[in-house]
Amino acid sequence: MTSLRVFGIGGLIAYRALFNWISPWIYIPTMLGSPLFQIVFFTYLGRFSGTKSDAFFIVGNAVQVCAMSSVYGATMAIANERWLGTLAPLLATPASRPALFLGRAVPYVANGLFVSAFGFVVGWALLDFHPRGGDVPALALVVFVTVLSCTAFGLLLGSIGLRAKDVFFAANLAYFLMLLFCGVNVPLESLPGWMAAIGRGLPLTHGIAAAREVAGGASLADVARLVWTELGIGAAYTAAAYGLFRFFEAEARRRASLETL
Amino acid sequence: MGRLALPPKTLSTTGFFVLTAVLQPVIFASIAFFIFRTGHHGATLLYAALGAGLMGIWSSTLFGSGGAIQWQRWQGTLEVLVTAPVPFVLVVLPLTLATASIGLYSLVATLVWGRLLFGIPLHLAHPFLFALSIPATVVGLGLLGLLLASTFVLYRHANAMSNLLEYPVWLVTGLIVPVSLLPGWATPLSWLLAPTWGVEAIRHAALGGPVLPALGMTALLSVVYLVLGAAFLELFLRLARERATLSLT
Amino acid sequence: MAVIEALDLRRTYRTTTGVFRRRTLDVEAVRGITFAVEEGRLFGLLGPNGAGKTTTIKMLITLLVPTAGTARVLGLDVVRDAREVRKRIGYVFGGERGLYERLSALDNLRYFAELYGVPARRQKDRIAELLDLVGLSGREREKVEGYSRGMRQRLHIARGLLHDPPVVFLDEPTIGVDPVGARELRQTISSLVANGKTVLLTTHYMFEADALCDRIAVINRGAIVAEGTPADLKQLVVERTVVEIEAYGATEAAIERLRTLPEVSSVAVEEREHSQLVLVQSAQGQELSQELAGRLDGARVGRVTVREPTLEDAYVALVTES
Repeated sequence: MTSLRVFGIGGLIAYRALFNWISPWIYIPTMLGSPLFQIVFFTYLGRFSGTKSDAFFIVGNAVQVCAMSSVYGATMAIANERWLGTLAPLLATPASRPALFLGRAVPYVANGLFVSAFGFVVGWALLDFHPRGGDVPALALVVFVTVLSCTAFGLLLGSIGLRAKDVFFAANLAYFLMLLFCGVNVPLESLPGWMAAIGRGLPLTHGIAAAREVAGGASLADVARLVWTELGIGAAYTAAAYGLFRFFEAEARRRASLETL
Repeated sequence: MGRLALPPKTLSTTGFFVLTAVLQPVIFASIAFFIFRTGHHGATLLYAALGAGLMGIWSSTLFGSGGAIQWQRWQGTLEVLVTAPVPFVLVVLPLTLATASIGLYSLVATLVWGRLLFGIPLHLAHPFLFALSIPATVVGLGLLGLLLASTFVLYRHANAMSNLLEYPVWLVTGLIVPVSLLPGWATPLSWLLAPTWGVEAIRHAALGGPVLPALGMTALLSVVYLVLGAAFLELFLRLARERATLSLT
Repeated sequence: MAVIEALDLRRTYRTTTGVFRRRTLDVEAVRGITFAVEEGRLFGLLGPNGAGKTTTIKMLITLLVPTAGTARVLGLDVVRDAREVRKRIGYVFGGERGLYERLSALDNLRYFAELYGVPARRQKDRIAELLDLVGLSGREREKVEGYSRGMRQRLHIARGLLHDPPVVFLDEPTIGVDPVGARELRQTISSLVANGKTVLLTTHYMFEADALCDRIAVINRGAIVAEGTPADLKQLVVERTVVEIEAYGATEAAIERLRTLPEVSSVAVEEREHSQLVLVQSAQGQELSQELAGRLDGARVGRVTVREPTLEDAYVALVTES
């Protein structure tokens, strides 16, 4: 019971404590304004180049912008503890570690979903994106799985940030590399082999491919394999993120290596 | 760029900042190249390369001017700079021009990257005018940054706002997507921006077309920006002092 | 059964020096510490900075694994049964950091109440009780980022007590706090023991240890040099007298000359703004006072007093003579 509360309520309080962009003055331009312009920009770029339809770019970017929360935010959720000096008090509690760690991700998943949904609305309102109403639930599910997987990736960066000072720059770089490697704006077939290979190991790639098909009328069954792959990638990143966190904790107790421990 | 979730007071890692500054233009350029490579439109890849390079200049300027002010604020030195006997504009101006020039790197890197990996030919129609148009555009971008930097003095969360202006300026100045593709109301807006003309000058110099009129407009608007920027800076500084928002971190 | 037990605790840190030819240095921060604390007692670990107090306490609260030796709290091993230990102890480290700045004190406490497993229906009352105890009632909705040092310290204490632990560890709880605030904090600490808790406290303030603790262990350079009640420790120096010499411009060399006297047990110097207070412990202070003043030539000598030793002097003796 307590673990459940640590997971849910604890996660929510931690979100308010650690998310740097929670103030509306920062949230709106950063989490909504920037994605809006990103979607508009790439869609126009696509129009000009005469390559894919609007929908291609809108779906790709609307899913990717969840990274504003799922990558940047999730990184903050863990790594900011270091700057606050709250790691020691945290690790001195008997709280269940999985609940403590994974619970933090939940608000960022919700946030990421919100940003992606906003992105889709932008595409629908301002550009040429008009999926059939019947396709929307399937699309929502696919996007949900993708956001989960992307948040897991962000958590991994967060764990790395417990030791590496420059992880926020890495998060920044990851955001841009996703635009290139994950099929957001360029289909994987058009990328050189090594880029596509990296893309397949990152979150978003399979989810975006599935989302495109579903938005175009495919059923969930058609994209099942893609969705399961995305889920699997997310699970792998989750395990890595949590494993790293526990490793750093154990090592800090042995060697006093975490600065604040 | 600059969408950094930095913890306050710890920008110790200029090395990584440089890394991001180095890689971001190249990443965006690659995206542009791939998109255009598979496209049917008649624009040449050189056009894409130029556009991507110019995008980098603006990113760098934006991050530089806004980020520089924010950086000073975090360091607590903003107040010191403001109360220095030198007019604040003379403090900010070199900063914005410097970061715009760093952005020059991105133009060069993009062209080189394009040449090496995508085989983009670098034939310039009017090389001399091209060489002239580049600094003119850089100055135009830098001064646009100065105009914006003046507002950052007033607002704590300037950084968030500055991030917001990256894509819009790319679009409205027609860096890589012609303004003609945008909704009608964007066209007059684009005429007011110095970089729009500079970009046109660069493109015509590289691909052929009338360069001088565009250059002239760039210069004219740049001067206007300089004057406006200096005026705004003084105004906003006064407002900031009145509202006591200078020192807030 | 002792509530807190340390048995030959050792902790070595490995540090690397140099950039090109990296050499590893093993620093023994804690070299075989043994002590026990009975239930309901206030035990003090007293020592100068760098003596190993914080390292010792970190081992006891499961944040550090000992390099050798064992420690037990309520019979539970701190390494093997870490989670069980954490449920039963509270710790207060204090300092500026360690709190969520953007949250209010109330939210900070709510979060840790969840982490400590305080039952949901008890949380509201418990938090209110604690805010009252530490004197933060009425200010709990303000964000911590606006808190003063003293307020933060009080919040740290409130946090350490959320789950009503039977054992509480405090590391230098009054450091950096203004005198009035510090006195109130000490009263709070005393009340914990009055309520049946077992408390271990580290400090480098002798008077604090004297005022609060039932038993004191003096630590220096990673080892315990003396242990006992405040009265026991005073006995160590009861044979001595202390000569206080007010000196102006006494040099290190002059102080050394005092140390070389065979009858002198220890010499300590307190730097004041324009003078030094030289404290000489000796069995024959009365007879020596003239000679001592004379040996400080080169310095102007002001008041010279001879007095009985205090616990402070015992501490100084223990630390400088070990």
